[in-house]
Amino acid sequence: MRNGHAEEIAKLIEPGRIHRRVYTDPELFELEIERIFGRAWLFVGHASQVPNPGDYITTDLGRQPVIMVRHRDGTIHVLLNRCTHRGAKVVNERRGHAARLTCCYHGWTFDTDGKLATVPVAEGCAAGFDTEAFGLARAPRVGDYRGFVFASLAAKGPSFEDHIGPVKGNIDDLVDRAPDGTLALDAGMHRYVYNGNWKLQVENVLDSYHVPFGHASTVNRDGVQFARREGDRSGAKVVETEKKQTAASWNDRKSFIAGNGHGWTSNTSLDDGKRSSPAFDEYKRVLAEKVGAERAQQILTPRLHNSLIYPNMSIMGLNIHIRVIKPIAVDRTEVNIFPIRLVGAPAAMNFGNIRLLNVTHSAASFVQTDDLESFVRAQKGLQSRLTDWVDISRGLGAEEADREHNVTRGLATHEMVVRAQYKAWLGYMGEAA
Amino acid sequence: MALDAAIPAAFADFIIQEARLLDERRFREWMALFADDGTYWVPAVPDQQSPFDQASLFYDDRDLMKTRVDRLEHPRIHVQTPPSRTAHLVGNIAVEEQDTAKGEYVIGSTVIMVEYRDDVQRVFAGRQHHRLRRDGDGLRIVQKRVDLINCDGAFEAMAVPI
Repeated sequence: MRNGHAEEIAKLIEPGRIHRRVYTDPELFELEIERIFGRAWLFVGHASQVPNPGDYITTDLGRQPVIMVRHRDGTIHVLLNRCTHRGAKVVNERRGHAARLTCCYHGWTFDTDGKLATVPVAEGCAAGFDTEAFGLARAPRVGDYRGFVFASLAAKGPSFEDHIGPVKGNIDDLVDRAPDGTLALDAGMHRYVYNGNWKLQVENVLDSYHVPFGHASTVNRDGVQFARREGDRSGAKVVETEKKQTAASWNDRKSFIAGNGHGWTSNTSLDDGKRSSPAFDEYKRVLAEKVGAERAQQILTPRLHNSLIYPNMSIMGLNIHIRVIKPIAVDRTEVNIFPIRLVGAPAAMNFGNIRLLNVTHSAASFVQTDDLESFVRAQKGLQSRLTDWVDISRGLGAEEADREHNVTRGLATHEMVVRAQYKAWLGYMGEAA
Repeated sequence: MALDAAIPAAFADFIIQEARLLDERRFREWMALFADDGTYWVPAVPDQQSPFDQASLFYDDRDLMKTRVDRLEHPRIHVQTPPSRTAHLVGNIAVEEQDTAKGEYVIGSTVIMVEYRDDVQRVFAGRQHHRLRRDGDGLRIVQKRVDLINCDGAFEAMAVPI
């Protein structure tokens, strides 16, 4: 594996199974950092996180520290958070505001578009020192769709449009829920970590098969989950009672793939007609006032449950949030969960979303914690060397082409979406950067 | 007043007993300490002003608390298989606010909780504030707020309240 030969990597992925080394081999992880996180279009942040000139957030793309900052002309820049002098991380806060960015070590100061502005004791600079050549490095390519900012650390590769095209509708599905037609990621974040590979979380966001058993502890005696949305009387029925631990009704749910590793699942059936509370009713009224009753009704009957924008981000449609997946090591991953504020919705409705997201996806939540336990146990179990293969064959051969929507469709409890992720994985990994 | 002199001991006993119920996994009795309008709040950033416009690690009203406790008692709660064992230490107790007319008191204390589960031991620490309300001869919790020193850090799964 040391050389990352394409033929050797290709042997790890078979039609219905993948080799356990994909999750456990540190050398493969290094190759992923280079070949996937070093060139794929990665979600960086949302424009609403940096509303004013000088506002910034910091994050990591793969393992590279970056700053997303708004310059005084209104443009958003994705800069490498690394002083061009001796390499120190320039901005140390997770978010903030600064007129200029100053390195703590020798005081080199950069403008918010990355240009080197001042160097202390400039007379000591070598003859011919060119400040133009010492601006902060920047992500070679940046794209933005409805405020969602993505960057690629490679100068060449598929265009942003080609990458994001198939999932624009998924972004629209979320953004259109805001009466003012825009979102704000200004309600803080949840951060959790686990001792497991990053792809365990990526696979899980579209995994409908695990819900009845994995989340059994969130279900009452009648097989019904706790109410998870503002205005819901109860949650989804996820387990058929007095039978085995599966729910036949889940077979109505579909999953979809449309290339590039992206995928999504259709919505959980919840009784939207009965959804009601003072906050929800007011939201519904405001939305109808802005977009018309018919359109509001469409928006309030969401098509989508979860959408994966491969490789590092998902849009979660039930307890609405943006999820960002950050690989740290082959067996260590951090995930950031951003609650969504629907701009124009009543504060009480946005609070309802925040309040319920606390109990579904914080590090101390009812739902996410059982997933984390599964990820940790998968990483432990995959140390077994006598069983090399991980099975992802559910529904293999049962995929259907949906020509009308230019997608491929399967049952949500099948594993078509996982197979699609590994097809994309192989596309990145099989080719030297 | 003699009664006021006696109050601090009653407050200390109350919050020490509250911590003990958690350590003994008597979650239903723990929940019963809260007033009907009581909340349990663990902010996700230092000095968090409000649970209404920002994410929190925990912000449970009685309904959510009940769902949490039901789940903690569920036989298939994977993240508690095996269960956490915890030891709370509560100290540096001070009455920080009191409104004797209303019968409400805010008691500040420092809490350290050591948790052991599945071969891993970890430590949680911070300052907590109990807003307590007189209820007959006893006290009920109007709000328990725990400000962890690492509240904005990344956590591995947390299943039991601090």
